[in-house]
Amino acid sequence: MSFDADVIIVGGGLSGLSAGITMAREGLNTILLERGEYSGAKNVSGGRMYIHSLLKLVPDALEKAPLEKPITKETYLMFCENNKKISFSFEEKGKRNSYSVLRAKFDRWLANEAENLGLLISYSTNVYNAYREHEGITLETDKGALKAPIVIDASGVTSVVFRSLGLRNFSPDKWMLGVKEVVKGNGLEREEGEAITVVNAIKGAKGGGFIYTNKDTLSVGFTITFDSIPKSEKPAKDLVEEFREKMGIEGEVLEYSAHAIPYYGYKNLPRLYDKNVIAVGDAAGFLINDGFTIRGMDLAIASGMVAGIAVKKLVESRNYENTEIYYKMLEESFILRHLELAYNRFSVINSSLSLYPDVICKVLSDMFTVSEDRRTLISDALIRLKESGITLGKALDDLRKVVL
Amino acid sequence: MIPLLKRLGLNTYDVDSTSHIQVDTDKCVQCVGKPCTISCPAGTYEASPDGKIIVHYERCLECGGALVICPYGAIKFRFPNGGVKYKYG
Ligand SMILES: Cc1cc2nc3c(=O)[nH]c(=O)nc-3n(C[C@H](O)[C@H](O)[C@H](O)COP(=O)(O)OP(=O)(O)OC[C@H]3O[C@@H](n4cnc5c(N)ncnc54)[C@H](O)[C@@H]3O)c2cc1C
Ligand code: SF4
Repeated sequence: MSFDADVIIVGGGLSGLSAGITMAREGLNTILLERGEYSGAKNVSGGRMYIHSLLKLVPDALEKAPLEKPITKETYLMFCENNKKISFSFEEKGKRNSYSVLRAKFDRWLANEAENLGLLISYSTNVYNAYREHEGITLETDKGALKAPIVIDASGVTSVVFRSLGLRNFSPDKWMLGVKEVVKGNGLEREEGEAITVVNAIKGAKGGGFIYTNKDTLSVGFTITFDSIPKSEKPAKDLVEEFREKMGIEGEVLEYSAHAIPYYGYKNLPRLYDKNVIAVGDAAGFLINDGFTIRGMDLAIASGMVAGIAVKKLVESRNYENTEIYYKMLEESFILRHLELAYNRFSVINSSLSLYPDVICKVLSDMFTVSEDRRTLISDALIRLKESGITLGKALDDLRKVVL
Repeated sequence: MIPLLKRLGLNTYDVDSTSHIQVDTDKCVQCVGKPCTISCPAGTYEASPDGKIIVHYERCLECGGALVICPYGAIKFRFPNGGVKYKYG
């Protein structure tokens, strides 16, 4: 049986390119298939990358990569009933831990790095089916069929390879929709970047809003679980506009985009490997949303790098079925550990986060109101929790999960 | 609020000659809530008076949502060969 390459990567986003770069450095015979005309043509993210993984992949990335601004200010804004809102900011000037990015630019640059290292990328190549044949995997594309003994599924949340092999079962409560607009610069006077996380901006929507400042533009977006869209005040097509208007952001809108986000959580991760196939990045469901951070990009890069090393071992041993080694390597990396760490907070956000803003706002409103009948903070909080139907036991349990 | 079609018009599309989305409209006729008309960010699915669904596949932003939004499995979706092209992303 002749194969077209030692390994084929499906998807030239961050995870696929990171795997490709790693394997090109290891001298493996690799082909990457990307359906976009260029990498990033189809990719959307909110736009904040934690750069620790990138710096492992490309050590001089800070000098070369098209990063937008270092994020050194965090603002939280929580809406509650009757036009009340809470906000707080935290500033750490000089910090270089995360940057705003725009993926059409960023992924294209990373693809260029990969090609310079000798990775073969076939663009405008749409994979639409995968099946097992002759101890390997055959991929059907609009340009014909390709075969390899091992395939890395880096095709993002829709994970075409695992899906075609019957290894995915999607549901609307395990995916989020992200909608986003890029708005021409205003509010960009601050030299370093800012991230604004907004809770409860749109009633009924299980999700939240974000704003990141780029060099010349703002990224404004909203995420929502698919199962809660029909319960939200606004249909999907109006969410980001509603959010932008609520935040008072004006300026020319340059782009409107949308993309699904995996939202499984550590305990519900889908299948990560099977004989001859490995899933990385969003295709593996590697996404963390713990209320403080949304992270998929650093996990995508890191899992791509791990997959690259795992595949090298498989190729050397000529045992392409032993993909479990990938899982073992993931366990040793930060990836599964961070996903596990975030799970408690993830589960609170998922089940009851929308209950609390109103309680907190009521308590704060009470504290800032002086009248004859005044209560202590604690007794007021207990009364307000009870009014909202949250037992003390539940509140303490949620608090424990959020803090621990 | 900027109308949807105007926002979609900001993007570059390379529209395929045939649709990459097939909807089994026999199922739609029975479907009461028609969640696809609410959950698609590109307004791809439009209910017609006879209870069927009209598919404006050329609007598709390729978010992937089509794989989860229909509770009756009436939507058959694969990515188009051409489609949308983002400048910022
Ligand atoms: C609105 C939004 C906000 C987000 N905010 C953040 C954030 O602030 N920080 C963060 O770290 N993460 C964020 N994320 C998550 C982050 O974008 C993803 O985790 C990350 O893009 C995953 O990278 P990936 O390479 O695994 O997948 P993708 O970036 O989805 O790349 C998949 C690639 O595969 C290609 N492809 C797909 N199907 C096929 C096919 N059938 N044939 C050929 N090629 C195919 C695609 O064109 C694409 O290039 C956000 C996501 C969204 C949608
Ligand atoms: S596609 Fe699905 S959700 Fe939409 S109308 Fe038809 S049956 Fe209902």
